Amino acid sequence: MVVDRRADFEASLTRTAELRGDQAGGALQRASLLRDAVHRFLKNRAAVAGAIAFLIMVVFVTITPWLSPHDPYAIDFGKAYLRPSWDHPFGTDDFGRDLFIRTALGGRVSILIGFAATVAIMLVGILYGSLSGFAGGALDNGMMRFLDALYGLPYLPFAILTLAIFGTVNFWTMVVALTVASWFTTARVMRGQIITLKENDYVRAANALGARWYRILFRHLLPNTLGVILIFVFLELPGVILGEAFLSFIGLGISAPKASWGTLAQEGYSSYLAYPYIIIIPSLCIGWLILSAFFVADGLRDALDPRSQEA
Amino acid sequence: MSEQMDGASRASTNGNEPLLVVKNLKKYFPIKGGAILDRTVDYVRAVDDVSFTVRAGETLGLVGESGSGKTTTGYCVLQLLKPTEGSVRFAGKELTTMSRGDMRAVRRDMQIVFQDPYASLNPRMTVGDIVSEPLLVHKIGNRKSRRSSAERLLEVVGFNPDFINRYPHEFSGGQRQRIGIARALALNPSLIVCDEPVSALDISIQAQILNLLKDLQNEFGLAYLFVAHDLAVVRTMSDRIAVMNSGKIVEEGPAERVYTNPTDPYTQALLAAVPIPNPRRMQERRAERRKHKDVLAEPV
Amino acid sequence: MALLEVEDLRTYFKTREGEVRAVDGVSFSLEHSKMLGIVGESGCGKSVTVLSIMGLVQTPGRVVGGSAVFQGRDLVQLKGRELEDVRGHEIGMIFQDPMTSLNPTLTIGTQLTETLRRHLGMNKDQARKRAVELLEEVHIPNAARRLDDYPHRYSGGMRQRVMIAIAISCNPKLLIADEPTTALDVTVQAGVLDLLHELRSIHEMGVIIITHDMGVVAETADDIIVMYAGQIVEQATALDLFDRPEHPYTEALLEALPQVEGEGIREGRLRSISGRPPDLLDPPPACRFAPRCAYAGQDDCATVPPDLREIRPGHWVRSSHPTSERAAAPVGAR
Repeated sequence: MVVDRRADFEASLTRTAELRGDQAGGALQRASLLRDAVHRFLKNRAAVAGAIAFLIMVVFVTITPWLSPHDPYAIDFGKAYLRPSWDHPFGTDDFGRDLFIRTALGGRVSILIGFAATVAIMLVGILYGSLSGFAGGALDNGMMRFLDALYGLPYLPFAILTLAIFGTVNFWTMVVALTVASWFTTARVMRGQIITLKENDYVRAANALGARWYRILFRHLLPNTLGVILIFVFLELPGVILGEAFLSFIGLGISAPKASWGTLAQEGYSSYLAYPYIIIIPSLCIGWLILSAFFVADGLRDALDPRSQEA
Repeated sequence: MSEQMDGASRASTNGNEPLLVVKNLKKYFPIKGGAILDRTVDYVRAVDDVSFTVRAGETLGLVGESGSGKTTTGYCVLQLLKPTEGSVRFAGKELTTMSRGDMRAVRRDMQIVFQDPYASLNPRMTVGDIVSEPLLVHKIGNRKSRRSSAERLLEVVGFNPDFINRYPHEFSGGQRQRIGIARALALNPSLIVCDEPVSALDISIQAQILNLLKDLQNEFGLAYLFVAHDLAVVRTMSDRIAVMNSGKIVEEGPAERVYTNPTDPYTQALLAAVPIPNPRRMQERRAERRKHKDVLAEPV
Repeated sequence: MALLEVEDLRTYFKTREGEVRAVDGVSFSLEHSKMLGIVGESGCGKSVTVLSIMGLVQTPGRVVGGSAVFQGRDLVQLKGRELEDVRGHEIGMIFQDPMTSLNPTLTIGTQLTETLRRHLGMNKDQARKRAVELLEEVHIPNAARRLDDYPHRYSGGMRQRVMIAIAISCNPKLLIADEPTTALDVTVQAGVLDLLHELRSIHEMGVIIITHDMGVVAETADDIIVMYAGQIVEQATALDLFDRPEHPYTEALLEALPQVEGEGIREGRLRSISGRPPDLLDPPPACRFAPRCAYAGQDDCATVPPDLREIRPGHWVRSSHPTSERAAAPVGAR
């Protein structure tokens, strides 16, 4: 019976379609959202410079360890505290290890921890935020009050506490500690996004169709937050890298002989009066990466925000 | 003609009951207040005791100004908002007490077209996905048949099906509105709530869409609950008119009668306020308006 | 001499895809105390036209040619401070959305007196006294008391009245109203339009009202300009335009309007204009309405651009097929 009705409807569709043809004409607007966004991004000099600087750093930390003739872990006190030279562009440290390759390796650690923690923060934040915003009502209220309570506490003690609970510092505990300390903002922003998007008529239309909740969440809500998520990746990344550097600097970092930029800076701290380059170089690297990521985030925000429409 | 029959058979009601019967519908929104805890201090009576009917194949125009509660009424009919009180009977079934699962099945028979053609289509879905989504949700046909249904639906609403893989932002407001109409039509509903479907469109495009809605009504025996603020647009579309003001229906009747011989003072004032595209009648219209000064007094 | 004389105004927007000719050779003049309606669909250039006159076009737009002579001065040539003095002082302006034009953090009184003190050099008491008078003039009840309210305490219609009060505060000779009632309900709209009419006579202002609503121009304007795709396609007195529309576009537009009064409205169909307005990046080479025109194709109007010509005294039209020259063919005129 139902099938019959559907068949009738389809048949009458065909009939009327033949009758009407297309009236509206098909001239398309040339706009492509993605192309426009890319164009806006490329027109933003600071953002492009940031992106290039970011890439240079990534390339540096990736390829230097392959090309460098020095062993990053070989201790040779005869070469300790060499000033920057052609052979050792960044000089050597108190154990005579080449700082050029150690900076690159430390950068690998810093950036990898940064990315891993950012991904984790995104996952936790998106899950918590979208669930809270999507559910609404009492659950949302409770989840947000919990977040408010966490917000009230300072950021670093959280990470330190987490590391203390683990009792050991390695790559993964560091990622967990940083995630625990900094997922709140993402969760909040995601909740706000979902709540705004929920008011869109296309979500209402999906409800009117009888679509189930998971379809609405995964098909209609989350895909439309991609732009914000992308911006947040580049906003969170510098914060996380700085957090890791700080923890390492106060001695809660990856332990020797491995190093991150934070540990390198901390090693340089003991002799910063005599050999300032040992602390300056990793600090500059951290600053370089953080600034470039911020410029990229800023450019992405301008490029993806439809309100900043500018041809 | 056979489509007309089809329309009647879809919405099989018991005896002579109209397709949609709304009785004493109320929708109150709480106003939260209080120093520490959210307490409900008062209610906004968005819809306050509204009753009307829509018969199969006819159009009821629901006209009112902003804040009159007309859109909220439309949402309550579709159960997109839960009514505070009252009854909504559709095709002989009470919707307000229905389970989610049963309601899902009823949704095949009642659809909605929105005002804003930019907000009503998901920007991350292609035109084809948008139009075939209703079929997917209700598990009708397979991928291939849904695709061909979408193409035919698009053709029916005057949208070139060659653009089925494009995204909505590539089209103008009028074309997007056609996509929204195709989506609403996909499940072969017997009632479509049109919520200000042309108020975002330019005049020449507005006429195209209104004509299209009329044609579809004739071809598929659709009933419309046509919600709008523009009295001229509502008149063009409606068999019967209900005028809403502050959550209540102040006047209801055949379109012809309401427009030529309005009895309620608010309806009279509303009609007097509409600018008429005829400069010769400017003075006469001004005088007419002055008569309704009290009703037309603006909120301060 | 006319109050405002606009001559061959051209405003182009530079975009990546090319140059958008938003206003492409617009000329008109406005006499003292007259109300001119500019009507057209979105994107026809009606708003950009007045923004160009006021020097308010923003990049990437630029007035690339033409002049707008107001009381002996070409506004297009004015810069910075000079232009600001003309704006707000000699020309008042109101916009579609009164909420975004008012600062929500300042009282209505502050915003009103600010203009008075700056442009007219009044002191605090004088300005306040004048502000109350102005609010009374736009019929805001309890004016003296409401002066100290913030904008959010005002309804939409009342806010628009405040905007009008600010616009007329320096006794401008010209008032420009860009879609002044589009955001308002129809019952409120009527009051605001009547107010504009009343103030026009009291202050002997010229008024330009821009709208997409044929009903609004019919009930307010003395003269009407119809714009399409950046050009004026028809210009006439209100009476003549509605009685005898000449341009096929105007004619079709009027027939596309849903009617409140009449017979057989429910059963009938509206006349629809097929297609949609052209892309101004690449407009049709000659008559811009030709691709949608029911009468095009009979001659060379798709290749030779028609001029804006005076088909009878005071009635200008840009078309090769004006209604009165089609009289031979039995066209179903209104």
